[in-house]
Formats: sequence, C-alpha cells, structure tokens
Amino acid sequence: MKSRFAWTVAVAVLGATAMSAATAYEADWKRGRIYYRQVCTSCHNTEMKKPVSPSDRTKAEWGAYLQADKHLKGKEPVTRYFSKQYRDGIKASNAAAAKFADVPEKELLEDVKAFLNKGAKDGDSPASCS
Amino acid sequence: MTANRIYIFKRFERFWHWAQAALIMFLLLTGFEVHGSYRLFGFEKAVAYHTIAAWTLVGLWVFAIFWHLTTGEWKQYVPTMQKVDAMIRYYLTGIFSNAPHPFRVTTLKKHNPLQRLAYLGVMLFIGPLTWITGWFYIFYDQWADWGADGFLSLEWVAYLHTAAAFLMLVFLIVHVYLITAGHTPAAHLKAMITGWEEVQADESAAAGIEQRGA
Amino acid sequence: MKADRFRGRLTALMLGGLGVIGIGVGHASMPDSGSTPPVKLNTTADHARFKELQREFKSGPEVTKACLICHTEAARQVHRTKHWTWEFVNPDTGQRLGKKTLVNNYCVSIRANYPFCTACHVGYGWQDKDFDFTSEQNVDCLVCHDTTGDYRKQPGLSGHPASEEREIPKGSGNIVKPVDLRKVAQKVGKTSRDTCGACHFFGGGGDGVKHGDLDSSLSAPDKPLDVHMDATGADFTCATCHATSSHDIPGSRYTPTAMDKKGAMVRGQTDKRNPATCQSCHGVTPHKVQARLNAHARKIACQTCHIPAMARGGVPTKMSWDWSTAGKRGPDGKPLVVKDEKGRVIYDAKKGDFVIAENVMPEYAWFNGHVTYTLVGDKLERTDGVIGINRIGGSPTDGKSRIWPFKVSRGAQPYDSVNMNLVTPHTAGDTPTAYWKHLDWAEAIETGMEDFGLPFSGKFDFVQTEMYWPLSHMVAPKEKAVGCAECHSRDGRLKDIKGVYLPRRDAAPWLDLLGWSAAALALLGVLLHGGLRIVRGWRE
Repeated sequence: MKSRFAWTVAVAVLGATAMSAATAYEADWKRGRIYYRQVCTSCHNTEMKKPVSPSDRTKAEWGAYLQADKHLKGKEPVTRYFSKQYRDGIKASNAAAAKFADVPEKELLEDVKAFLNKGAKDGDSPASCS
Repeated sequence: MTANRIYIFKRFERFWHWAQAALIMFLLLTGFEVHGSYRLFGFEKAVAYHTIAAWTLVGLWVFAIFWHLTTGEWKQYVPTMQKVDAMIRYYLTGIFSNAPHPFRVTTLKKHNPLQRLAYLGVMLFIGPLTWITGWFYIFYDQWADWGADGFLSLEWVAYLHTAAAFLMLVFLIVHVYLITAGHTPAAHLKAMITGWEEVQADESAAAGIEQRGA
Repeated sequence: MKADRFRGRLTALMLGGLGVIGIGVGHASMPDSGSTPPVKLNTTADHARFKELQREFKSGPEVTKACLICHTEAARQVHRTKHWTWEFVNPDTGQRLGKKTLVNNYCVSIRANYPFCTACHVGYGWQDKDFDFTSEQNVDCLVCHDTTGDYRKQPGLSGHPASEEREIPKGSGNIVKPVDLRKVAQKVGKTSRDTCGACHFFGGGGDGVKHGDLDSSLSAPDKPLDVHMDATGADFTCATCHATSSHDIPGSRYTPTAMDKKGAMVRGQTDKRNPATCQSCHGVTPHKVQARLNAHARKIACQTCHIPAMARGGVPTKMSWDWSTAGKRGPDGKPLVVKDEKGRVIYDAKKGDFVIAENVMPEYAWFNGHVTYTLVGDKLERTDGVIGINRIGGSPTDGKSRIWPFKVSRGAQPYDSVNMNLVTPHTAGDTPTAYWKHLDWAEAIETGMEDFGLPFSGKFDFVQTEMYWPLSHMVAPKEKAVGCAECHSRDGRLKDIKGVYLPRRDAAPWLDLLGWSAAALALLGVLLHGGLRIVRGWRE
C-alpha cells in the first residue's frame, strides 16, 4: 500500500516537474518562410520595387540587423512588423498575417530568423529573392 | 355611322402574347449570340439569360395551355381550309386596291384561316421542336442515364435547335408585318393591346358586341 | 484494511490530480516563461531523443542503418517501389518503363550518367549499371523525411549527400557545404512539398524545367498559385493527395487516371483506386451553383478549366530543347553560353538551344490514360516528322477519354541514322567521352549505348521529338478558372479539338446560310409587300 502511495506521488511530482522543465522555443523555419515571403518580400516588392533576399546578408549580418531592430533607415523598429497589432492590421488582406495572427511575436521572430539563417549568404541553403 | 367593338383578346391572352413576344425576341437575341452570330452580353451571360428566359417561357406555356383548355379557346386554332384561298388572294392582290378584308372577326372566330394555320404551326411544330431540342441541349449530361447516349448527337440537337430558331425568326418577321394588314393598319395592334377590335355595325355578329354612338 | 486502502487510493487520486493541475499550470505559463518544452503534436516520437541518433554520422548509409533498427520493414518496402527500382512495367502495354530504360527529350537518359542522375534516386551509391538493388542500408530515408530543408544530394555524387565542402560545379565558385547528418536525422518527420520537390521540382536538370506544373514556387505557394497547397490555407503536402501506404506512392504519370467516374472516396473503401484524382475528394458533381459545369465533366478533365496556365509561380519551364545546335564555341574558343535579357540561359554549348516560358497556356488533347513510349530499341519508321517520345491515347468516342491539358515539350535529339533508333548519349561526368566535357557526339553516344548493351552504328543525326506531360498541379482558385468564352469561341483554347460540338465554336455553315437566307427573304418579301401597299395607297 505504502509503495503504491509513494509511486503515485512520484509520478505526479515527476510529471509536473518534467512538464515545467526549461527548454528554448524550437523555431519553425517553414513558418518563417511563409511570413517572410508574404509579408516582408511582398511588401518590399510592391512598395520598394526591389526584392529583398535572405542571401543579401550573412547569418551574422542578419543577426545584427534583427538585434539592432531598425527598419526604414532607423525610423522604426523592424519588430513592429512582427507585432500582433501589425498582423491584426493587415490580416484582412494578408493570408499569412491572418493564419499566424495568434502566434506570439517572439516565436514568429524566431521563425523568420531561422529561415533567414538558412537562406543567408553563408547559410545552409542560400535563397535568392524569396 | 356607328362603330361596334368586340372584345376578342382577354386580359390573360394579351399578357400571354406580349410576354411571349418579349421572351421569344430575347431568346432569339441571346440564342444567336450563343450560336456565334455576334457578341452582345458575352457568351457566359448569354447562356445564363437564354436559359432563364427559356424556363420562364416554359412556365408561361404551361399556364397558356391550361387557360386554352379550360376556356375552350383552343378551338380558335382548329385549322380550316375555308376561305384560305380568299385570304391568299387578298394578301396578293386585294390589299393593294383597298378591297374589303375577306374575314370578319367574331369572338368565336378571332383568327383568320391563315392565322389559324400559322399559329397552329408555331404551336405544334416550331414550339415543340425548340422545346425538345432545348431540353436535350440543357440536360446533355443526363443522356447516358436516359439511355439516349447512343442515338443522340449534340451536334444534331444543336442544328435542329438552330433551325427552329431560324423558323421562329421568319415567323416573327412576317407576323410583325402582317399586324399592319388588318382592316386598318393599326387595327390588329390596337386589338392586341386593348382587347377590343372595331368592326362596322352592320357586320357585327350577335355576341359580345357593344354599340357606341359616333 | 479496506478503508485504509480506500484512503490510500483517494490520496493517490488527489495527488495525481494535483500533478495534472501542475502540468496544466506548466502549460498555461509556457508563453511567459518560455521555458516549458511544448509537446510535439505532429509526431509521437521526437527522434532527437533516440540514443541511436545521438551520434555523428559519416555517411547516408550509416543513418539508414540507425533508422532500420526500429523501422525494420522500411527499406524493403522502398525496394518494391519505382522510386527505388526506376523500373515500371505498364500493365496496359507491357512496355518496360521507368528511368532505367526510358528516354525523354530533356537530358535524354540516365545511361552512363548515373552519378549525376542518381542524385534523385532514393538511395546511395548508384554509380554504374551494377548497383546492388537488394541493399537495405543504401536506401535513402532522409531525402524524403528531412524536415530541416538542409539535406541536399548534389549531382555527381551518386546519390550521396556532400560529406565535405565542395565546389559544384567545379570552377563555379559555388561552395556546397557538407550536410549535418546528425541534425537532419534527429529531425526526421513526414514528407513535405520540400522533400518531394527536392527532386520533382527540379526534373529535367533545373527548377521547373520538366513538368511545367511543378517547380520550387510550390514549396510555399500562396492561394492564387495553388488552392490546395496554399501555405497560408489548406497547406496540402504532396502526400495529402498522393496518399501513401507502405512507401508506395500512388498517382504515377506512367498510368494516369484520365477519367474517374467513381466519386469521392469514403473510409473503408477497399478497391485500389488512384487517390490522387480530383474526383477522389470532390466527387463527380462538384459544381453546386452552376450545374451545367457538371455536364462539362463528361468530356473535360477538371484540370482543363482549373489550371488556366502552367509555370505561374515565377519559375519558367522549358518548352523546347534543341540538342542539334549544341557544341558551338564562342570567339574565345570556349563553349558558348547565351542568356536572355533576364539572365536566363537560352543557349548552352553543352546542351543546345532552349525555349523557356512562364504563364504558358497548355495544349489540349483527348486523353484516356494510355501512354505508349518510343523506347531506345524501337525502330523509327521515319525521321522527317516528329517522333512522339510518348504518345497519348484517346478519342472523343472511346468513352474513356476526356479533354486534358498538357505541357508538350518539343525538341530535337540524337538518333542512330543507320540503325534508326533513339540513342542515349553519355553527357555528364569527368570521363574521356562525356559530351559535356568534350562536345563529341559520336563518342558520347557510343559510351551511352554500350551501357545499355545496344549497338551504335557510329552514324547519328538529330530528330524532332515531342513529349506529353499531363498537368494536375497549380490549380487556380475558382474565380481564376478558365472562363466559358475561352473555349466557346471560334479561335479559343479548344479550337483544334475534334469530336465534340462546342456552342459558339461550331455551327453548320449550310444551316446558317439556309437560315439567314430564309430570314432575309422573309424580310425582303414583307418590305416589298408593304412598299407596294404604300405606293398603291398614295395613288388612290
């Protein structure tokens, strides 16, 4: 009897601790690819008439760019474009923003970062223009 | 002088006639676009309009048949050869010399013998030919289920439907012209609009005649 | 005793419940702390946690051996498929097909070109005709089950991924990094558009070259490009339609289903149907608003209206490849390469002239699913016309055909002008006879035919060929489907299709003549009659 009791407690405690153990978010590069293409690329194409490519920069350069958090020559933070607020604003006309409307901003940023790292000039599979 | 009027076209009959006239002209218009004779609405819309108009006309005919059967008016279309020769002679010669119209309208005989023949032809030949071919045309996808796949070809269904349309067009042209060939050029048109046909007093038959001082 | 046990159970239950609450709290707090491992919902096994995969791998086969420890049947299942054998006997024609024997009018044949072509073999080490097709460890699990997008098999390595840094092609400055097999192996998962696309998007030697309806734009397409694969919508993978069991992927182009009359598939259905037809989901009467369109499906494949154009994703497809002009050298004596204004190659001394195009309207033909190939050993009756590399069956009257959209790839390719058969030149490789290295046809053909075990007379010429590729992908949203008038017109998409009456396209000239004459005569008659009446009236 006692052993059963102890066993149950052990399982319960173990379960609880295992579930709250710390691990980092595992970025989804495919989700990043969709968001990058349909939000970043499509806007740059229509507004700037000039495509942006992951392979325009190296991994380190992309890292520094996102770290600096500057967009439009420093006039605004680039993270603005990952915010829920921004996604809500464009989701009526942007399928990617609509689909990922509820994704936490940090995760989405990580996803896009993972895609950029893959496609960077020195990434595992450099990607031009998209 | 006294003019008499007889009421020959009842309200439903006039509605039927004019609705049918409009529908047939619209069907010809859209039909020949589908056929490829010109571009007006665009193929897709032409087909849609044509189909809607066709079903509307079917509905109208159902009512018209019911009306003719229940009122006995169908007898107006029983063909007769009596005075046909006189009518033809009138159209060929008499009409040019203001000869009297050989036919006297009564409520029991509101169509002259040529009209009877022509309208009967429209209703017994051109109409059914159009309906039947149109029906097969629309339900092309069901042929296999009906077992009609073996002996029907869409090509010939379309040809016959087109031929029926041409016949209807010819009828329409002649019919529109002959409107002016009544006792007076406007007599027929007036009758079909108001229902009343004016006849001279001495010629008036017993029933349905209203006298009016002039 | 009993009560005691009961109390024990109760306590256990309560504590268990607490545990559950704890788990729940852990979940709820996840976004804030960012420190709780989220449960993976797309798999029941996190391969990163398997000891067998927590090690360095020096080669692909090493990874496969690790996979087979658990997935004991997988390799032998793959052995049974076309993806492995590159062989397929068409049950209709008895023809032996598959990449091992077929020629096409792109790179022609794999013969004597194995190390390059087998970059797309689902295996490792097929470098010559003596490859061991019974080897289990040489089955490549990763090429289909990679989820990282980093697993690449470079041409020239006989199906192996790069194991060290290489410059491919040599002298190009394009450095290919070795694949991190450990990472790839730990992240294996279901197949995706990326994995299937790694080969099928790049058939014919480059992105979009071969199919017209398959290219890299489908890796993450938007809705206008493909309603089903739309990455922000339905997000179909290839296997959503090509629903696979035991590694044998259905829906092959060798025996296409041209007419599926059976309607939507339901659970428990046991007959072996192609699950990749439109009808297997949509049924045979999918148009709810416009029933007339269902009638069209008797004669017209769904694809014909719903794929208005191919190569719609920004990647051009190769419409024509003329090998007969290959071999030109520039003024500098080097093999010539010519590019168009967009920087895309349209002439390459190694390959000849290309015609590439985007947004191409398909060609249309009656198709009943029967395809007959001109094989290498087949005698060419005449070479002044166009040889059908594959010839599609179909007629308006056989009851099995529908009008299908095709990409027709045209070109000219070498044949043996004495023995009168197609040949398989040895093009790729660092060998003394490879065409792409020495630009000498006779030697290249000699080597290629020797591999096949077929004679070569030494004399060759070029013959015009064409090849039909039925289209099924890049399905547009319904608003973008082909409109009625695009076929229902004299000069429309189906202007050359025989055996079906198309309103507005077809009319009998004699009937029109007769009809309009009758109408004109009637009009003339009434006008004359009326005119006469008016004239007479005036006189009186």
